Amino acid sequence: MTSRPDTEHGTATTAPIEVDKRPLRRHQFNRALIQLACILISLFMVVPIYLITISAFSTRQGLNEFPQPLWPKNFSTETMATFLNSTGILAATLNSLTVGIGTLVLASLVGAPAGYAIARFAFRGKDPYQLFLLFTRALPIVVLSIPLAQVFLATGLYDQPIGVILLHTALSLPTTILITSSVFLSVPIDAEEAARIFGCTPVGAFLRVVLPLALPGIAASAIFTFVTSWNEVLGATILTFSNRTLPAQVLSTLGDSPVAFRFAGGLAMIIPSIIFIAIMRKYLLNMWGTTIR
Amino acid sequence: MKAKLTLSRRALFGTSAAVAATGTLAACGASTSGGGDFAMISTQFTPVEEKQRFEEILSEHVSTTSVSYTTMTAPEMLTQVTSQVGSGNLQFGLIGGLHGDLQPLAENLEDIDEALVETARAAGIAEDLLELGKLGGETTKYIPWMQASYVMAVNKKALEWLPEGADVNALTYEQVLEWATAANEANGSPVFGFPAGPKGLYHRFFQGFQLPSFTGGVITTFQSPEAIESWQWMKDFWAQCNPSSTNYDFMQEPLASGEVLVAWDHVARLVGAPQDNPDDWVMVPSPTGPQGLGYMLVIGGLAIPKGGDVETAAQVIEEFLKPEMQIATLEKNAFFPVVEAEIPSELPPAIQLEFDAVNAQQGADGAIVALPPVGLGEQDGELSQVFKDCFAEICLDGGDPGTVIPGKAEQVQTLLDTAEASCWDPDPAGDGVCQVG
Repeated sequence: MTSRPDTEHGTATTAPIEVDKRPLRRHQFNRALIQLACILISLFMVVPIYLITISAFSTRQGLNEFPQPLWPKNFSTETMATFLNSTGILAATLNSLTVGIGTLVLASLVGAPAGYAIARFAFRGKDPYQLFLLFTRALPIVVLSIPLAQVFLATGLYDQPIGVILLHTALSLPTTILITSSVFLSVPIDAEEAARIFGCTPVGAFLRVVLPLALPGIAASAIFTFVTSWNEVLGATILTFSNRTLPAQVLSTLGDSPVAFRFAGGLAMIIPSIIFIAIMRKYLLNMWGTTIR
Repeated sequence: MKAKLTLSRRALFGTSAAVAATGTLAACGASTSGGGDFAMISTQFTPVEEKQRFEEILSEHVSTTSVSYTTMTAPEMLTQVTSQVGSGNLQFGLIGGLHGDLQPLAENLEDIDEALVETARAAGIAEDLLELGKLGGETTKYIPWMQASYVMAVNKKALEWLPEGADVNALTYEQVLEWATAANEANGSPVFGFPAGPKGLYHRFFQGFQLPSFTGGVITTFQSPEAIESWQWMKDFWAQCNPSSTNYDFMQEPLASGEVLVAWDHVARLVGAPQDNPDDWVMVPSPTGPQGLGYMLVIGGLAIPKGGDVETAAQVIEEFLKPEMQIATLEKNAFFPVVEAEIPSELPPAIQLEFDAVNAQQGADGAIVALPPVGLGEQDGELSQVFKDCFAEICLDGGDPGTVIPGKAEQVQTLLDTAEASCWDPDPAGDGVCQVG
């Protein structure tokens, strides 16, 4: 059963079986191309983070070198330490996490049912409504800022993360609703009807059948919401004063600081959101298997 | 068929703990301002280290109360002050900012008590600085806090190309141009830089240095033949500058990295360049033009928001005016005292370089002091924009100064008319609205 080519010289008892290897090779070639594409895309994401990381941990003189070394040649934790020791960095990170998670929870609680309604029910004015949703994003926040700040000051919500959560929820609801509605659309209505036939209440069918199937999509929209909130500066700056979120606390400061601090601050700002995405990733994994088809 | 919704005890516990923590934090938040009893907001000392150093100065030198220090950009400050004063719910008690930052806030500021103005006068603050603090009105709106100016930092390597007979400590505009040209040729690439980046302060060069030095005025000589000549100088000079200059906000960085060797900028934006090797650097006054050495004063002031705790604020301001506090600010953050204070003989080397240059500049023969635009209010930023536009059209787009400048005169006049602003130094104060000449 051997097909080694050198058997010709020996005592060949069986002739080698002619196998058409071209499909296999094509398959392997395609696999290699996919792998290559994966590597390229990963590099596209990882290289900037890597460069920021080594710059954040370089000495200041090291950053003036040209060309810059691609490995941590001038390793130093000085700028990073100075940055992290600035007043309020830790508190601001905590506030940012609070606001991000709060926004995510609130936006999902309000947005997912709205998305479900759009996906499942036909009602008058559904199309204009969907378009109208996006209008909240059309109003620049600069225009809203002073009246918003005054209302928040008058109601006592000013300078509290809950105020920023409300603003960020309002900002992210349109995308949450639109993403979740398309996710619910892809959950077959048959499955839901089957659950009803077997005795589920409408709410029960939603919770036991639709929601588990839609979870990956909702996770995707949650990541989007969290990152939007994490990166939002203007609203957070206007609505808070001494309880700021991380971007509001450091962004204007970093803009005026030497480059060394911009790298340190940049790295400090992306790490928590990378951790968050890594945690949410497990909910995304079976996305292609179940819901999106 | 009844399926049970499963939720393990651990998951339930974890979720409720997270919800409780988020809820608690959402309600009160974590303080990011350092949690002092008295809050000061400011547009100054925004860079990470400067802010840390100033917080140290505050805790060392202010004993009345513990002051927290929050920095923000000027537009942010305008929003915060307007909305908080408007709602009568103030979260801060003291505002620090440059003259131009405080100008648009004028109607939200408390009138400063005459007794405090007297204290400031007794501390040795110059009369014309106190006058600036009125922001064009009748009453004092801010007390001068610190001052600075703009000088040139020169890496000693660039001195070899200095034109013959030129004294680096008393350069003329012509010599600067010759120097830049010779250095460019000898070096093979430009060695001069100019802070023309998005956040650069280059418009101050036109307003406070180039125009006063060439014409003796700014607004009243805006389109005079001398002004056109000065813009021609600028165009020629720009041709010798490093083309990356449109990205430079703070000249200390390209200077420290050796990208450029000579540059003019705000002292606080130059002081980082000679930090590591002060012996390689000199700092020199800005150049002298046909009319004299025009230079702009940068004034920082302290103001009290309307409805704020006036009494505590006044006490804190008094402590800000103490010589020790002012000297500490000079030594650590490179802003100069406004009060009479004995400067220690041993300053940090980089600060010493800067101090000598600023002193030489102020004491130069034929020095012409230019103030930041006075009484322009909301039009202040627009006037700066006009100068930036002039620069863009003449230097970047290669326009002819003789046609660009007269084209802008009307725009400037409209701004002045809208603000009903009278002339400010170095233009002679006259009656009524300042007229573009």
